[in-house]
Amino acid sequence: MPDGRCDIILRYNIHGSDAPIPVITGPATQAYTVEYDVGDSWLGIRLRPDNGRALWQSRIAQAADTVLRGQDALSLMPGLAALKGGQMTAANLANAVEITMTLNLDHRLIRALDVLHASGGRMRIEKLARFAGCTSRHLNRVFRSNIGLTAKTYAQLVQFNRTLRLIQQEHLPITGAAFEGGYADHAHLTRAFRRFGGFTPSDPPNELSLPVLFS
Amino acid sequence: MKFGYTIIYVADVPNTVAFYETAFGLKRRFIHESDLYAEMETGGTALAFAGNEAAEMNGLAILPNDPASPAAGWEICFVTDDVQGAFERAVSKGCSPVSNPSEKPWGQTVSYVRDMNGCIVEIASPIVQSS
Repeated sequence: MPDGRCDIILRYNIHGSDAPIPVITGPATQAYTVEYDVGDSWLGIRLRPDNGRALWQSRIAQAADTVLRGQDALSLMPGLAALKGGQMTAANLANAVEITMTLNLDHRLIRALDVLHASGGRMRIEKLARFAGCTSRHLNRVFRSNIGLTAKTYAQLVQFNRTLRLIQQEHLPITGAAFEGGYADHAHLTRAFRRFGGFTPSDPPNELSLPVLFS
Repeated sequence: MKFGYTIIYVADVPNTVAFYETAFGLKRRFIHESDLYAEMETGGTALAFAGNEAAEMNGLAILPNDPASPAAGWEICFVTDDVQGAFERAVSKGCSPVSNPSEKPWGQTVSYVRDMNGCIVEIASPIVQSS
């Protein structure tokens, strides 16, 4: 399920060579399915949303729902190529990420993200900007240039993920989840679920993997 | 200084008192004849309800609680040994479930509902102090 964050993944195919395939994703706003063979494995890091720019640099603005594989991923993040065989550990991957990426965090963005997540994605951008201490125009610019998504799209993703969790994990009835999630009505909820999840609220796929936010 | 009251501003004080009696099993201490203030029997620190009108009378400006909006940034927490039973009772009496009872890493069972006014109420087990 999409949550607006970028992934750096090393994929091992049981029938392939020893070298894993590097995969880098832009901030996701749409669900995708992964085809795999039994025995395949993945090792990956999901970045904080505000770190998208550190990975994609100026390309972040066009990176939404983009996936780079193999050589394309390596040219974005050459440090991945150095990890071979037994060096492919989570710690080494994290280390490579840390070396490659210069984090230049905007504290107003971090504050805005914290408030937005606390509100379940239901705070208007104008109000969010007041919490962050800037104008909504500036906040939108910071969202686009760091996360790669507009503030509104990111807020809608937070709202979608919380509501999906209310249905999947808390087993709330759909009308109750729509209300608590802040959707005006069933049609509004269904539109959001179709857009971000690719399914209707009453018919979710069997094996959904829910993104964990800020664990 | 002593912590004396938690006062929640609500649209309808008598209805909220009745709701807290049926949903959470509390008892009322009194409802003022104006219907703008009431206290529950909660021991030394009173859980109280005041009418939204009382806020203006006190010179305050508040954002009224609203079940259709995100909850205000605070909660009250009731502690019981039977979290599951209390949670089910609250939901069957009109609370909206938000988070089913689940055990936290520190050993406490915790659940959340929203009351008739949209306020967050946590229902949790006591923290057992390790000896």
